[in-house]
Amino acid sequence: MKILVSVKRVVDHNVKVRVKSDGSGVDIANAKMSMNPFDEIAVEEAVRLKEKGVATEVIAVSCGVQQCQETLRTAMAIGADRAVLVQTDEELQPLAVARLLKALVDKEQPGLVVLGKQAIDDDANQTGQMLAALADLPQATFASKLEVADGKAKVTREVDGGLETISMPLPAVVTTDLRLNEPRYVTLPNIMKAKKKQLDTVKPEDLGVDVRPRLKTLKVTEPTKRSAGIKVPDVATLLQKLKTEAKVI
Amino acid sequence: MLRELADLDRVAQLPNAEVLADDELTGSILIEASRLAEGVLEPLNATGDRDGARWSAEGVKATPGFKDAYRQYVEGGWNRLAMPTEYGGQGMPTLLSAAVREIFIGANKAFCMCPGLTDAAVHALMVGADDALKAYYLPRLVSGEWTATMNLTEPQAGSDVGALRTRAVPAGDGTYRIFGQKIFISFGDHDLTDNIVHLVLARVAGAPEGSKGISLFVVPKFLPQEGWQGARNDVQCAGIEHKVGNHGSPTCTMVYGDAGEGAVAWLLGGENMGLQTMFVMMNQARILVGMEGVALSERAYRQALAYARERVQGRAAEGSALPVPIIRHPDVRRMLLSMRSQTEAMRALGYMLAGALDLADGHSDPMVRQERQDFVDLMIPIFKGWATETAVEVTRTSVQIHGGMGYVTESGASQPLRDVLIAPIYEGTTGIQANDLIARKVLRDGGASLNCWLAQVDRTLAETTAQPALADLASRLGEGVASVRMVAQWIAQAQRERPLDVLAAAVPFLKLAGIVAGGWLMTRAALAASRLLDAGDAGESESFLRAKLASARFYATHVLPQAGALAVTAMNGSEATLDEWALQA
Amino acid sequence: MAALVIAEHDNASIKAATLNTVTAAAACGGDVHVLVAGANAGEAAKAASQIAGVAKVMHADGEQFAHGLAENVAAQVLAIAGNYGHILFPATASGKNVAPRVAAKLDVAQISDITKVDSADTFERPIYAGNAIATVQSSDAVKVITVRTTAFDPAAATGGSAGVETAGAVGDTGKSKFESCEIAKSDRPELTAAKIIVSGGRALGSSEKFQDVMTPLADKLGAAIGASRAAVDAGYAPNDLQVGQTGKIVAPQLYVACGISGAIQHLAGMKDSKVIVAINKDAEAPIFGVADYGLVDDLFTAVPELVSSLEATAK
Repeated sequence: MKILVSVKRVVDHNVKVRVKSDGSGVDIANAKMSMNPFDEIAVEEAVRLKEKGVATEVIAVSCGVQQCQETLRTAMAIGADRAVLVQTDEELQPLAVARLLKALVDKEQPGLVVLGKQAIDDDANQTGQMLAALADLPQATFASKLEVADGKAKVTREVDGGLETISMPLPAVVTTDLRLNEPRYVTLPNIMKAKKKQLDTVKPEDLGVDVRPRLKTLKVTEPTKRSAGIKVPDVATLLQKLKTEAKVI
Repeated sequence: MLRELADLDRVAQLPNAEVLADDELTGSILIEASRLAEGVLEPLNATGDRDGARWSAEGVKATPGFKDAYRQYVEGGWNRLAMPTEYGGQGMPTLLSAAVREIFIGANKAFCMCPGLTDAAVHALMVGADDALKAYYLPRLVSGEWTATMNLTEPQAGSDVGALRTRAVPAGDGTYRIFGQKIFISFGDHDLTDNIVHLVLARVAGAPEGSKGISLFVVPKFLPQEGWQGARNDVQCAGIEHKVGNHGSPTCTMVYGDAGEGAVAWLLGGENMGLQTMFVMMNQARILVGMEGVALSERAYRQALAYARERVQGRAAEGSALPVPIIRHPDVRRMLLSMRSQTEAMRALGYMLAGALDLADGHSDPMVRQERQDFVDLMIPIFKGWATETAVEVTRTSVQIHGGMGYVTESGASQPLRDVLIAPIYEGTTGIQANDLIARKVLRDGGASLNCWLAQVDRTLAETTAQPALADLASRLGEGVASVRMVAQWIAQAQRERPLDVLAAAVPFLKLAGIVAGGWLMTRAALAASRLLDAGDAGESESFLRAKLASARFYATHVLPQAGALAVTAMNGSEATLDEWALQA
Repeated sequence: MAALVIAEHDNASIKAATLNTVTAAAACGGDVHVLVAGANAGEAAKAASQIAGVAKVMHADGEQFAHGLAENVAAQVLAIAGNYGHILFPATASGKNVAPRVAAKLDVAQISDITKVDSADTFERPIYAGNAIATVQSSDAVKVITVRTTAFDPAAATGGSAGVETAGAVGDTGKSKFESCEIAKSDRPELTAAKIIVSGGRALGSSEKFQDVMTPLADKLGAAIGASRAAVDAGYAPNDLQVGQTGKIVAPQLYVACGISGAIQHLAGMKDSKVIVAINKDAEAPIFGVADYGLVDDLFTAVPELVSSLEATAK
C-alpha cells in the first residue's frame, strides 16, 4: 500500500513573527523556515508504517514555492521514498491544496493519506478534511494513535472531552495531532541517501487545478496588547489585588 | 560566507567533496546537525556543568544523559562525518566538518570532546598503524562503538612533552608493557561505550632522552577477545579533576601498569616515531581547538544578545519616558559588537584554514597543495593562539553584559567562559604557539610563507582602496599589515643578537598577526557584501549583508588599531620584560 | 439570506459553545437557524429552540449521528445547506472536524476560528498562533465558518421561541465507525466555558503532584483545570486539559498559570483571558510578560499558601 504524506514549509515554530507596519502581512523575509511540526509527525508515522511492513512506499508531497524542495528533502531524509513538488508562486489556501492533493490521490491511489492537523502559520485546520470530502474518503482527524491492519485504520482521536476511537476502511485520510509520535532525528547517511531519491516537479496546470485564492486578506494587524502587569511580593498581596483591584474572586 | 571566504568552490571540486558543491545538501546537513544539537546536546549542557561526571572505584560515570545522547549522536552518523570511508566513515571534507563541529560544540562543548578525541585517534591510526591494528580498531572507532583518548601529559611533562617518563618495555611477542601515569586525560574513563582505546606516548627503554625518544602506543581498556579473552587491561582511572569548567568532560588521571605486570600495548608506527605521528594530526587538532573558541564565542554572543534585548534598565540616553532594554545603551552595543565582529573574524579564519587543509591534502596540482600547506603551517599557530585568547575575552564580555546575573552560575552566562578557559592552554599553550610561529614559521623559511600571505593581504588592500565607501577599512588594514611587516623584520634582526627579546615579544606578535588576519578576512567580507549589495543581488540576505558591513567597520575601528599598539610592545617591550630586577621583589 | 448554526450538543442539552456561535451568526445579518443532528436528540432540539435570537431549529435524528461522525454530519448539513448564506460551526473538536468537509463539498473556502464579524463577508481571525490578526473577505456564495467561542458573548439560553422542524435525516454514509471513547467525567466547569481556570505546567513534576497541588486550588476557586503542552506530554495531565495554540483556546475572567513558562504556543491559547496571574520561580519566564499579577515564587509553596489563604478568608 502506498502512503501519501503532505508537508508544508512554514516559518519555524521558534520564530516570533512581526506584523509589517503597512498592515499588508507578516514579515517573514529573513525568517527561518522549517517543516510544519504536525507534518513531521505525519512523515514519521508514515515511515514507521513502512518499517512495520504495512506500507510499501511513502510519497511526500509539498505545494508551493521552489524552496519547498528543501522540505521534501527533509521528508525523504526521514524516510519517504520519493517526493512530488507542486510548484507555484501563487498564494495557496487550503481548498486549493486539497484540490491539488486530490489530483495526486487520483494519480497515485494511496491506501492512506496522512497530513498534519493544522499548519502553524495559518492555523486553518482544513486541508485534510477537505481532501477527504473531495476524494469521498473517510477521515480521522487529530489522531493520537494509528493502527493499520487488514485494510482498515483504527484511529484514536484527541477530542474536547478526552479520547475517541473510530475505525474506517482504507483508503482514508488521517490528520495528526501532537502526541501521535515523536519524530526521529535525521541521520547523516539518510541525508545523503535522500539526495539520490526521486523528486518530481509538477505545476497546478498539469494537474488541472485552478489554485487562485478565494479569500482576500484585506489587512493584517497586531493583536491588542495587554497592558503591562505588576509583580506582587507575596500570596497575601496577590489575593488582595485579585479581590479588590481586579475583582475576579 | 563559505563560498566567499573559505574557498568553498575550490574545495567542492576535490574528490569526496561533491557534497559542498550542492548548496541544498550542505544546507540540509547543517540544519539537521543543528536540530540534533538543539534537541539532544543543548539540554545537557547545563546538566553537564552542574552535575558533571562522577568518579568511583568501579569507574567513571558520565554526566546523566550523556550515554543516551552519545547513542543518538552515533546513530545519526555525526561522529563519522569526517572519518575515512574505507572504514565506514562519510569522508567529508574538513571545511564541512568544521562547520558541523562548530554547531555541536556551541551546544555542548564538554560532550564534543569525546567524539573529537576519537576522531583524532582514528587519524593517528590511519597515518601510522599497521594493517592489523587498523583492521581491529578502526571499524569500531569509526562506528562509535568504542571511543579513544590521547595520553600525552604527565605531572612533570606538559608543554615539554619530551620530559615524559612513562616507559614501555618490549614483551618479546611484538607487544609492549606500559608503566606510568598520565594526567589531564579527557574522557579517560566513562560509561558511554564498552571499550576505550588509549593512545599513549611512552619511552621505550634505551630510547634517546627528550622528544626524539618517544613512541606511540595503543592501550585498550579491554584486551582483544582473540588471544586475550577480552580481559581487563591494567589501565585505571585513579581520579578526575575538579575544574573551573568543562565539568561534563571527565578529566582523568590514568595509571598504567600499577598492578606490576604493565598494561598491554601495541606500537603504533615505528619506535621513536611517536611525535612524528602526533604532528600529522596536530594541525587538525589545533584548528578544532580554535573552532572551540569560535563556537563558544558565538554561544556567548547569542546569550548576551538575547539578554540585552530583554533586560530593561535605565532610561535611554537620548531621552525616554520609561526604562529601556539595555541594548539601547551605547556601551552595551559596543560590547555586543566587539563580541560579534571578533567571532565573525575568527570563524572566517577557521573555515579558511579548514578549506586550505582540504586543498593541501587533495588538490591535483602539487603547487596548489604546497601553497596551501604553507598557508596552513603559517596560520595554524596564529589561529589557535589568537582565536582561543580572543574567545576568553569575548566570553568574558558576555558575563559583563549580564551584570550581576552573569556572575550567578544559574544564569548560564559564565559557562562559555569557564568552558573555553582551557582552550588557550591545551593542544599547545599560546606561548608554545607563538614560539612555533616565530621559530618554525617565520624564521625557518626566512619569512617566505609570511610574505606570501601578506602579499595576499596586499591584493585585498588594493581591491578595497578602489572602493571609496570602504576607504576607512583600507587604511586601518593597511596600518595593520605595516605593523606585521615591521615586527617581522625586527624579529629577523633581533634573533641574531637578542634571541630572548624575540621570545619575550612572541605572544604580542602572534596576537598582532591574528588581529590582522581577522581584519583581512573581515575586509574581504565587506568587499563581498558591498559587491552583492551594489549589484542589487541581495534579495533575502540584505540585512545579513548590511550587518556584515557594519561588523567589518566595527572591527576596523575597534580591533585593528590594537595591531599598532602590539607592534610597539613587541619591538620595545622586551627590555622591561627581561629586566633582572623586575621579578626579584 | 439566513445563517445556519450547527449545534454542539450531547442530545440532552445544548453546549455553551453553541450560544457563542449564535451570537456570531447573528452578526452576519439575517435570521439564525440551528441544526441539531443527533440520536434521540429531542431535548437538545427543544433547548436550541429556546436560545434567544434563533428563528428556527432543524432537528435531524438517527443513530448515524450518535457519535458525530464527520462524514454523516457533513452530509446532513449539505442536505439543508442550499438556502443559507452562512454556515457556522463552533471551533470545537467536532466543529473543526466537520466544517471543512462541508466547505469542500460546496466548493467554497472556509474561514477558521473567527474572532470578529466585520460584515457579512468580512471577518477577523488569528494567525501565527495569535501573533497577528488577519482580516479576510470571502466572495463565495456561502461562507463556511468556524467560530472562536471565547471571542463572542453567549446568546441567552432562554427567551427564544423558535419552531422545531424535523429534517429528513440522511442515511449512514458507512464511511467510518465509532469504536469507543474515554471522555473524562468531571464536576468541574468545562475548560472552554469556565470563568476561572487554574493551569499547571511541567514544573509540577508528576501526575500525583499535579493533582495534589492543582485540585485544591481549583476546588477553592470553583475553577476548571488546564495544563501546558509540556505537562500533558510528560503525562502529568490528560490531553483534554491542554491549553494552547493547538489545544484549547480559553478566555476566562481569571487564568492562574502555575509553573508554566509561557511559550508562544501556550500564550496563544490563553492571552485573551481578562486577568492573568502567573506563579513561577523563574523571574525571567515569558509568562510574566502577559501576566497582570506575577508572583515570583516556588509554586509548591505559593499554591498551598494561596489555598489556605482562600480558606481563611472564606470563613
